[in-house]
Amino acid sequence: MKCFVSTLLWMFILLATGCSSHHTVILLPDLDGHLGKAEVITTGGNQLLDKAQGMTTVSGPSSAPSPATVASTEFIAATFAEVMAIEPPPAEKLILYFRTNTTELIPKSRADIDSILSSIKRRGAISISISGYTDSTGSSKLNDDLAHDRAQVVCDLLTQQGVDAKLLNVSSHGKGNQLVPTADGVAEPRNRRVEVIVR
Amino acid sequence: MNTLILGLSLYLFTISTASAFQPDVIGHIQKLNGTASILRDNNTVELVKGAVVYRGDMIRTAKTGSVGIVMTDDSTLSLGPNSEIALKDYLFNPKEGKFAFVTRITKGTFGYLSGIIGKLSPDSIRLEIPDATIAVRGTKLLIEVKE
Repeated sequence: MKCFVSTLLWMFILLATGCSSHHTVILLPDLDGHLGKAEVITTGGNQLLDKAQGMTTVSGPSSAPSPATVASTEFIAATFAEVMAIEPPPAEKLILYFRTNTTELIPKSRADIDSILSSIKRRGAISISISGYTDSTGSSKLNDDLAHDRAQVVCDLLTQQGVDAKLLNVSSHGKGNQLVPTADGVAEPRNRRVEVIVR
Repeated sequence: MNTLILGLSLYLFTISTASAFQPDVIGHIQKLNGTASILRDNNTVELVKGAVVYRGDMIRTAKTGSVGIVMTDDSTLSLGPNSEIALKDYLFNPKEGKFAFVTRITKGTFGYLSGIIGKLSPDSIRLEIPDATIAVRGTKLLIEVKE
């Protein structure tokens, strides 16, 4: 009984002071400046966020989320400093090009291997995908093989430089997934490529 | 001989079930500061950089810990200190057009940056906090859940 009374008293204090805990949701644009939307839903109602730094708070299951306000940059920095400091950097993508019908990198792309290596070191990469592509001239089989061999050449170059093979994923897309869409049979140097994505 | 056959078939059975239930890797620990752990199948595993995460994992940071996770769809999840999330559902299968992304934030501070699922199937993404769910239509959210 005593326990029940003290619980009631405690509930009364919480209600009277209105200091029940609340949760905060803030919408931000991505690095490219695109802004999405978010809708916060409780049994008491919904609140749409559609402005940069738009903020709403939730203070219980049955009350509606608070009307949207704009969070101050200072509030965001103070509350989410650690979250923003630990955000994984966006993946880095580099495109390498080859001489026609060979697995030989063009000179500029050979130099780009060094930037891939330094990117892997700098960010402590957890995975690297190497995808080979061709243009749409020639047979599918030939293109698949060539795209695969090119990707494999890049993979070998990286492992020779000490990159852990476990981090590398090699795939061939042949003439699929073109960077510059063309009709079948069209020669397009920009599609003869290997894309390296460092995560 | 019978024992041998029984043993062998048990062994094969174990191998086949093990591979049948091999869970898919859904993300990696990209950044780690201080201490954080994963609660998986009632076991607690201390996190290291590069560790993989699976559907159903619960991730927790210590008072001075923080962690940044990259999911296989290139979305990112970031946890501040003294925070906890559960990766309740996740499916990224663009070939078959199957997607799911449900994460529950139980306490602390949290950041979400949308990835390919956000582009291909925004309706699949749901973040849950105590007392509310959040339907996400892209870009980035910061969330604080007070205990």
